[in-house]
Amino acid sequence: MSKIQRFWYSGMLSTEDWWAVWLGLAFFSLGLLTLLGIDLVGWIAYPSKWVFNMPEGAISKKIVTIDKAFYALGGKYSLTARDTYQSLGPIGSILVTYIIFTIATVTGAYFQKWDVKRYFIGWTFIFFLTYLVWFIGHHAFFAASAVDLKRSHFPAMFTLSLGGGASFILALMAGLIIGNFFKPLARYLSEAAKPEWFIKTAIVFLGVKVGYLPIKAAATSEKIGHALADLTLDLFIAGAAATIVAYLIFWPGVYTISRLIFKLPRKTAAVLASAISICGVSAAVATGGAVRARPVVSIMVSSLVVVYAVIELVILPGVFTHIWPGIKDPMVAGAAMGMAVKTDGADAAAGELLDEFMRAKMDETSNGTVIWPEGIITVSAVMTKIWIDMFIGLWAFLLAMIWVYKIERQEGEKVPFSEVWFRFPKFVLGYFIAWFVYLGIFFGPGHGGSAEGMSVLKAAEAGAVPVEKGMRKLFFMLTFMSLGIITDFKKLAEAQFSKMIWVYFIALFFFIIPVASIIAYLFHHGMTLPNMATPGSALLGG
Amino acid sequence: MFKRNKTKTLDMTLTHDGKNWIASNKTIKLAASSLGELDRKIENALRDEFVDNKRLNVFMAFDNEAIPMWIRPYMNHYFNRILVLPIQR
Repeated sequence: MSKIQRFWYSGMLSTEDWWAVWLGLAFFSLGLLTLLGIDLVGWIAYPSKWVFNMPEGAISKKIVTIDKAFYALGGKYSLTARDTYQSLGPIGSILVTYIIFTIATVTGAYFQKWDVKRYFIGWTFIFFLTYLVWFIGHHAFFAASAVDLKRSHFPAMFTLSLGGGASFILALMAGLIIGNFFKPLARYLSEAAKPEWFIKTAIVFLGVKVGYLPIKAAATSEKIGHALADLTLDLFIAGAAATIVAYLIFWPGVYTISRLIFKLPRKTAAVLASAISICGVSAAVATGGAVRARPVVSIMVSSLVVVYAVIELVILPGVFTHIWPGIKDPMVAGAAMGMAVKTDGADAAAGELLDEFMRAKMDETSNGTVIWPEGIITVSAVMTKIWIDMFIGLWAFLLAMIWVYKIERQEGEKVPFSEVWFRFPKFVLGYFIAWFVYLGIFFGPGHGGSAEGMSVLKAAEAGAVPVEKGMRKLFFMLTFMSLGIITDFKKLAEAQFSKMIWVYFIALFFFIIPVASIIAYLFHHGMTLPNMATPGSALLGG
Repeated sequence: MFKRNKTKTLDMTLTHDGKNWIASNKTIKLAASSLGELDRKIENALRDEFVDNKRLNVFMAFDNEAIPMWIRPYMNHYFNRILVLPIQR
């Protein structure tokens, strides 16, 4: 970790934020090599829904037998090395995935001056536990829907129909069990349990996903490809609303609640307002610095944020899927999630869970006649959050000027403008680069999905899928597991700042979440998801 | 020829030990319970550096190690500040 941020390039080799960019862009770049006929990313091990034995008459389509529970994605998507990747088999692909990501993340740990030996051991434990949970979570009982069963000619049987969401829930549960019942182990693993690093890397991979969505859809029809490209850009523009909401509605509201009802000191109220309204821990730290609060204020507030964020992660995806707005307005749900859940890790994880739940429910409700593209609901949750994140530097800069020049005037002090850059979330650079490069491929050499560009798009797909699907999901799984490991619910009970706990509770559940839902509805209502089930079909809403 | 009058800048590291703000570099280390008081101490300590109406900027970069390790991944920057000496009262 960088000790101080003095120059614009400070921290480029020593902060998690920058390392998420390097890691994300490294694998994104490797993925692009498929355009030159070189496939260096197809080794990533990805799970299938599985059963121990196939029932009589069933076929391996959506559900496979246990020996095929994992496969290297390149074995399915590679144009140039399919046989090589197929030959890896489940165990081989997991081992290659482990070796490559161990080298990559240990290098990051080394440059960030972590305890490399402890990181390596912790990472190894977390990696294999994650794969074990991923495996269990894809058993047909947890993951398969009635439609999956039907497609694989299975007899009718009870399943939880959670799709990939089951694995995320199990990963979080496994992490929480370690974090709350095996505390010495959790402390040891904390060197490698890095949800912020994992999620920021996953968000760079999500950039590949956003850019790749039109390419994937173009395989169904050119029209749907264009519709998805438009939808992602619409989400980007509508997501800007989140910025106004977080900074100009939530912040003054929570600050007022803190000051008028709970009589908190001005600096504490400002830090708490930023944490609850904007982007959690990062906002708490940025605002604490801006108002020149003692660091302990930000530290106390941050402890609250991480626990509340996990509570939201557990509650909101289910509520948004099954109570409101449900599958009628998936984009509203995603956007509301982005505005309501603080910390990037919990928000993106909640968005991913929501994506799984919503798609599984739509699949089930429509009896398989409507299939939504994977990941777009996650994108809606992340897009609003990214907008909020991007302005924290500017917001903290403005707060600092107000504080230093007006509220607590410090003679002789100047606020350097470089503060804006130091607080800018760098991982969004990786996200936008990945997104726009793939979007450029779609509209450039891919000819917008028309027949003449199809060979380029196929080549791009071979490199994009292992990154946007395999690596992204793996890093989401690692995030869920790590979030659980570092979350100790006892911290809330032990905390000596009960007033803040109540401010947080009231502001979050009676102000932030309801207002986020209303604003998300106003800006995202009516956005429709294309149906990938029927080639050439018109766009279908929920 | 127009000559730009460049203000000299002195770099210091700023931290907080739970009780005091502490500014230091290789030659001096000063502590105070408030930033205003710390600034006045710095002004006194560096008085020789800004004689003859010359100005001196003191760039204080916060030592992020004052923030616990688990928080730094979320935001690895607390704040930097510039103190312009002499302080105009």
